[in-house]
Amino acid sequence: MTIKGTTTTAARPLVEVGNVSKWFGPLMALNDISLEIGPGITGLIGPNGAGKTTLLKLLTGQSKPSLGNVQICGHDAWLSKAKAHVGYCPYGDATWDELSGRRLVQVTAGLHGFTGDEAKRRTEAVLETVGMVDRANRPVHTYSKGMRQRIKLGQALIHDPDLLVLDEPLNGVDPVGREELNELFQRLANAGKAVLISSHILNEMDELANHILFVCRGKLLASGSLETIREVLDDYPLKVRVSCGSPRQVAPQLMALESVKSVSVEPPEDLFLEVQNPNRFYAEFGEFATADDIQLSRLKATDTSAEAVFDYLMERAARPE
Amino acid sequence: MSESNSDNESVIQHKAWFAAWPIARTAMHLVFRRKLFWVLFALALLSFLFMFGAIYLLATLRQQYPQVEQFITGMLKDLDGSGTTFLNFMVAQGTVTMILLAFAGSVLAGNDHSRGGLIFYLSRRINVVHYAAGKLLAIGLIISLTTTLPALVLFIEYGLLGDTGTYFGEKYPIFFGILGYGALLSLAVGLLLFALVSWMPKPVPLVMLWGGLFVFLPILSRILTFAMRKPGMRRRDAMEESPWRLLDFWNDLYIVGNKFFGVDKPLFTGAAVVVCAVCIISALAIVVRLRQLQHQS
Repeated sequence: MTIKGTTTTAARPLVEVGNVSKWFGPLMALNDISLEIGPGITGLIGPNGAGKTTLLKLLTGQSKPSLGNVQICGHDAWLSKAKAHVGYCPYGDATWDELSGRRLVQVTAGLHGFTGDEAKRRTEAVLETVGMVDRANRPVHTYSKGMRQRIKLGQALIHDPDLLVLDEPLNGVDPVGREELNELFQRLANAGKAVLISSHILNEMDELANHILFVCRGKLLASGSLETIREVLDDYPLKVRVSCGSPRQVAPQLMALESVKSVSVEPPEDLFLEVQNPNRFYAEFGEFATADDIQLSRLKATDTSAEAVFDYLMERAARPE
Repeated sequence: MSESNSDNESVIQHKAWFAAWPIARTAMHLVFRRKLFWVLFALALLSFLFMFGAIYLLATLRQQYPQVEQFITGMLKDLDGSGTTFLNFMVAQGTVTMILLAFAGSVLAGNDHSRGGLIFYLSRRINVVHYAAGKLLAIGLIISLTTTLPALVLFIEYGLLGDTGTYFGEKYPIFFGILGYGALLSLAVGLLLFALVSWMPKPVPLVMLWGGLFVFLPILSRILTFAMRKPGMRRRDAMEESPWRLLDFWNDLYIVGNKFFGVDKPLFTGAAVVVCAVCIISALAIVVRLRQLQHQS
């Protein structure tokens, strides 16, 4: 069963995947997956071997589905018309280590059919976008991991694609570089592009992605915003931490709320709540906090992260139906 | 195909086939960066410079000492300006070209296959055919640099230093012969090298296999030719007529290449079949391997 969040894009989605299955011999890499991707940042999350790379290969037209169809901007993904809308930033560093960053980007311009001044103009524009103009003449093998990622991103942007597919773009990048790349992804998303980021590091996606696709064992477990997916998981009570001055005094009062399933005290000032219906809880808690003279310093849901949601989804998927 | 940029100016975007050029140019750029290439290229140029000097010397002798020139041309048939002069030069370039290709093969295409670079190409609007065309173009250009291009320069030199109008007027088919033989070498050797590189991307095994094909097989071919020749048959005739000579692929190309210069050689049909078979099998091996890599990457 696939969980679908309620977030939808108003315009026609850039990517439409309809009932796609993919076999490699006897191995079923993807099993009847349907999804849509629109502008903004979409996170593709799943453990190693979940089928992420296969899905990316289908989306970038490197492979055809065994069943179903993959459409990019209304064209079959493996056609050059579709590929013209897709920029791909692969996981590996590939073979062009000896080229300078500028030359590498310029070569990809050539692969997209741009020559001469147009290729140069586009090259300089994307180097500017990814912040590599001043370091672009150095050979790629002298770059740090973050600089390599920027150049790879640059070559993916050379033809101004509508969909940017990034395979583990933050892998091995230091925190400062990560911050800078995240800002860049955000800028691209704000410019109306669909940015699909594949990652097995779940907490990367918490703040970055506004739409998440959870895949595991070739199946799409859930899609939507993290909040909406978490809300739909109603068989897993939301865990909330409340910090207040007198937890032992507040605990019975919170227990009286209908949406609160259990309360445990964590000295000196924390309470851990299990909440059945998050929306109702937040409404009740709002009234509770304003009505009574209670000193609350913090309220935080502890299992709304991508990692926690993914764990729940995995647990749910493992359950016999 | 065209699109518009932000300033609404029409932007030329060439068809996918044009991508073969940047692929070839990048592959050649990577080869040119290596000192070994320049050493081998210099070796190839030595032979060219020797021929260039010899043609110049003969032209000088022709003007100043015609009898000496006739004597020397009588001795050195290879320098008479006929198609054989240039064909033999291109064949003689074979050794250094083969060594060059053995070392360049991994750089030209092998790294794409061993290090997953294929997806860099195939995620663009090109497919495996465009990719293969680019790589074959690169190999073909390197072969042409050591064979076709120097042969054309020598042909032009021969014409310019002699009776230019008459020579070019009478011998113009040689020009097309050189181009034809060059194209045959580029296509057949290019396909074979690309097929081997696709399956054996690491340099050492590739060099060994390549050496086996272009050193061991010719030696084996000669040994079998002499060992199996009919009693009383001259060694020279055996070298021309024995089917065992077909084991030497470079010789097969030479036999087929003679046709471009209007010379019919014994074993032509057999050599043509071998060359065609190698091309077809290589092309199939390339397609199978690229599809396999496409799924693996």
